[in-house]
Amino acid sequence: MFSIIIALVLFRILQPQEDPYYNQRLQMVQHQIENRGIKDSSTLKAMRNVKRHLFVPKGSIKYAYDDRPLPIGYGQTISQPYCVAYMTEILKPGTDHKVLEIGTGSGYQAAVLAEIVDSMFTIEIIEELGKSAKKRLKNLEYNNVQVKIEDGYYGWEAHAPFDAIVVTAASEYIPPTLIKQLKDGGRMVIPIGSPFMVQTLMLVEKKGDKITTTSLIPVRFVSFTRSK
Amino acid sequence: MQKRIQLSIGLLSISIIAFQLILMQILSIVQWYHFAYMVISVALLGFGTAGTFLSIFKKKLLSAIDVILPILMITSGLAMTLVIRISQTEFIRFDSYLTFADLSQIWKLLLTYLLYIFPFFLSALAIGITFVKYPHSIGKLYFYNLSGSAFGGIVAIGLIWRFLPHEIPAIISIIPLVAGLIIISKKIIYLFFVAVITVIIIVVNIFQQNQLVLSEFKSLTKTLNLPEAEIKLSKNSPYGFMQFVTSPALRYAPGLSLNFTGPITASDAVFSNGDWYAPIIHGNLKNKTSILDYTTISLPYYTGEKERVLILESKTGYRVFHALTKGAKNVVAVEPNSLIISLLKNELAGKTDSLFFNPKVSIKNIDSRTFLMTDTLEYDLITLPIIGSFGGSSGLYALQEEYNLTVDAFRQIWNKLSSNGLFSVTCWMDQPYRNPLKILSTIVETLNQEGIENPVSYIAAVRSWGTITFIVKKSPLLINELNRIRQFCKTMFFDPALLPDIVKQERTNFNKLQNEEFFQYIDEILKNSRAKFYTDYAFKIEPATDNRPYFSQFLKFRSLPKLSEQFGNYTAPYFEIGYIVLILTFFQIIIASFLLIIVPLFKTGWRSSNKLWTFTYFSGIGMGYMFVEIVFIQRFILYFGNSIYSVAAVISSMLICSGAGSYFSSFLKAKRGITFFIFSTIVALILIYSVILFPVLKLTISFPFIMKLLIAILIISPLAFLMGIPFPAGINLLVKKSEDEIPWAWGINGCFSVVSTVSATIIGIEFGFTSVILLASLAYCLPLFANLRIKK
Repeated sequence: MFSIIIALVLFRILQPQEDPYYNQRLQMVQHQIENRGIKDSSTLKAMRNVKRHLFVPKGSIKYAYDDRPLPIGYGQTISQPYCVAYMTEILKPGTDHKVLEIGTGSGYQAAVLAEIVDSMFTIEIIEELGKSAKKRLKNLEYNNVQVKIEDGYYGWEAHAPFDAIVVTAASEYIPPTLIKQLKDGGRMVIPIGSPFMVQTLMLVEKKGDKITTTSLIPVRFVSFTRSK
Repeated sequence: MQKRIQLSIGLLSISIIAFQLILMQILSIVQWYHFAYMVISVALLGFGTAGTFLSIFKKKLLSAIDVILPILMITSGLAMTLVIRISQTEFIRFDSYLTFADLSQIWKLLLTYLLYIFPFFLSALAIGITFVKYPHSIGKLYFYNLSGSAFGGIVAIGLIWRFLPHEIPAIISIIPLVAGLIIISKKIIYLFFVAVITVIIIVVNIFQQNQLVLSEFKSLTKTLNLPEAEIKLSKNSPYGFMQFVTSPALRYAPGLSLNFTGPITASDAVFSNGDWYAPIIHGNLKNKTSILDYTTISLPYYTGEKERVLILESKTGYRVFHALTKGAKNVVAVEPNSLIISLLKNELAGKTDSLFFNPKVSIKNIDSRTFLMTDTLEYDLITLPIIGSFGGSSGLYALQEEYNLTVDAFRQIWNKLSSNGLFSVTCWMDQPYRNPLKILSTIVETLNQEGIENPVSYIAAVRSWGTITFIVKKSPLLINELNRIRQFCKTMFFDPALLPDIVKQERTNFNKLQNEEFFQYIDEILKNSRAKFYTDYAFKIEPATDNRPYFSQFLKFRSLPKLSEQFGNYTAPYFEIGYIVLILTFFQIIIASFLLIIVPLFKTGWRSSNKLWTFTYFSGIGMGYMFVEIVFIQRFILYFGNSIYSVAAVISSMLICSGAGSYFSSFLKAKRGITFFIFSTIVALILIYSVILFPVLKLTISFPFIMKLLIAILIISPLAFLMGIPFPAGINLLVKKSEDEIPWAWGINGCFSVVSTVSATIIGIEFGFTSVILLASLAYCLPLFANLRIKK
């Protein structure tokens, strides 16, 4: 009986009290991500650490850990948790890696990658989104993330080449500049599909002069509730 | 007084149709076409609601008709000017994109319905009151009603050409205001005050216009979020509200080769009704290069020189530009949208290197199918625009007739090719696979019907990471052509998906698929046993035909549970949203119509020997009329080659002829023999049309426009004239037997007109329009038998 009480007390002490969404996040990772086959331990750890509810609009906080994307305004969305995890795993990020993200959005994907890699660079084309993401990431002390507000088409020449590039906004073309800024042996992941649709993730690999693509699983990126 | 009332009914009818058409355009702009269709279908139940209301409050309404009638007309004008403004407020504005998942959107949708029902309800109530008050003049009143409606379509087209969409409702609202003013009795002075207030509101609305707020998920809204994005030009037309947008971050390179290392120059874009229409690619023809060289669209040019090129649906001319850079000596650009041609020849000429003034280019402002049927030349290459949108169109075009993507169209294209000519079609690779498979099935069926036993020798397909281009050659592909195609793939990092001598390994050299089902599907379509594959596949991929011209309708309802299981309940409706919305519309209308028809019976009583007759008679003529109208519209769209004008011509001719029939009915005596003759002639004519209409139109499609117009009127007028008789004749019968049921009959007719419109679209998609016309004859059998029964 005594040991049970101690265990309970310890459990209470060890559980981070300042984060009321901790349990939801653990459940999200277990049910939506691990159970669907994501195995990379660094990805799972990052997904457990990043407080997704801080990256969604206030009106959507209650849905933050649901298995769906959410709108963040300007017709943009924060991706479904599984999708973020899947994209992260596919990139095979290493602790010494330098990663570029095109389409910062709310900054969630950048935060997840920043938990794993050495340095994270992210570019957002919509000024309002870029500014708020920059502020959010700074407040959350993601000091290895740099945010730039610019057209992602040009990549980030000053920090190129990158070990991995993640493009979070679907695009009808893959900017040649991004291919150039990808290291030999580097990996790039891009979603393909309209906001209404099931989207397909595409992996681009650069090996010498040869660039190959692999069409991966269909994933939905669309949002289902109006941005508040 | 009655003359003035007849005139006011005519004016009111003009405004209803004009308002309906502009509302359709506005809702298509702020949301999407299929939701516009749903909202307006429900709003048109305002007619049925008016009948129900009139049934319940008939005595009160008739006792104060001098006051109520002008008030209804004036307030319907008021409603027309205000509803769109109100619907744009944050409280009501719904986003159709979220409807399937966010319950709060459902309430907003219901509020939107209620809001839009208002103008139709008020107008229909005004018309219904006059029918009930003056049943003996029903023939003339109905004549004014139908003629006004005919004129309303023409007024709407005129206004759409002249004004921007958000400016038009306030202008239309003047018409019912005038209709109300001309029937105000001088003794009722205070009504003038109501009119003055309405005038003030309308004037304020005309001069204080709010821009339309589009869904944040529309492609125009997203584009305007780009840096320095700006709408440089807005012009309205019946082809759509066209907006020209510039931004240095806008670029067009669909499925660009990963081997392209140069810069992608900024392009501008044209949007139609808030949706992506086409890019304006800046270029200089002297450079002889185009970004499209690095896409699969370029495939046909790699098989050999193409001197004479036919570009169907040339839009902003980017494929024309491409053809010229590839050495074409003569390019014929076919585009039905006269506004875009005008823009490219004037305001946007400088942006496109005056492409449409190039001596090698000839522009044909005509529909592609009509051009194919009337042109006598042969071409080395015929191209169609890229099909679907990036990542799939989500079934947004499921309700759209696509006459260029039917087997009949492909056969015409095939027959326009020179002996070594080829035609090409490009589409986006979608997930799950639909567009590429349906294109291939259409090609294979085309070749089969043209007597080609081994289609695979004539077809090649090349796939990039995002697009796939099919080419179909008039003669079997030669070895050197296949070598060039393989070289093209190697250079561009593309993969051949289909070649006569394809090897499995070369299909995924650069662009791998997680599984290779796609290639199995392609191979299945090429087999003789493909019918089984079509049946088994989760989506409809069998070819579209002119009788069922819905290329983008892929949904099989039996697949929905499987899709839900695989992708989640929220996702499944988004696979084929257009058709699902249509089905939902149908159910909503059926339920609402049922209630609207039943409710008056609680007041007037259920038991009456005449009620069954009234129901059968008026539901039959409501359904029959709309079925015929819709079939005529479908058939004449292809015949005239311009959907807007053909719809206007068909509807106007029909309504005017029916109006004449209605007028003529005033002189008819309601004898059994006469009504039997009229109905049996209608049924017989419809049956005859079901057999001869399509062949006659096919035979005369190459005639000059004036001749075709005369033929159309000759075909339409006898049937439409006769179809104008049953409604006033039915009301006359009710006057004798059960005058109290006139409002109910008006409501039934209104409800079934809407039900039949929606169901005709579903039947057309599922079974083809021949089935719709046969159902029209069955619908007219209902009043025929009802009349026989009543006499017994």
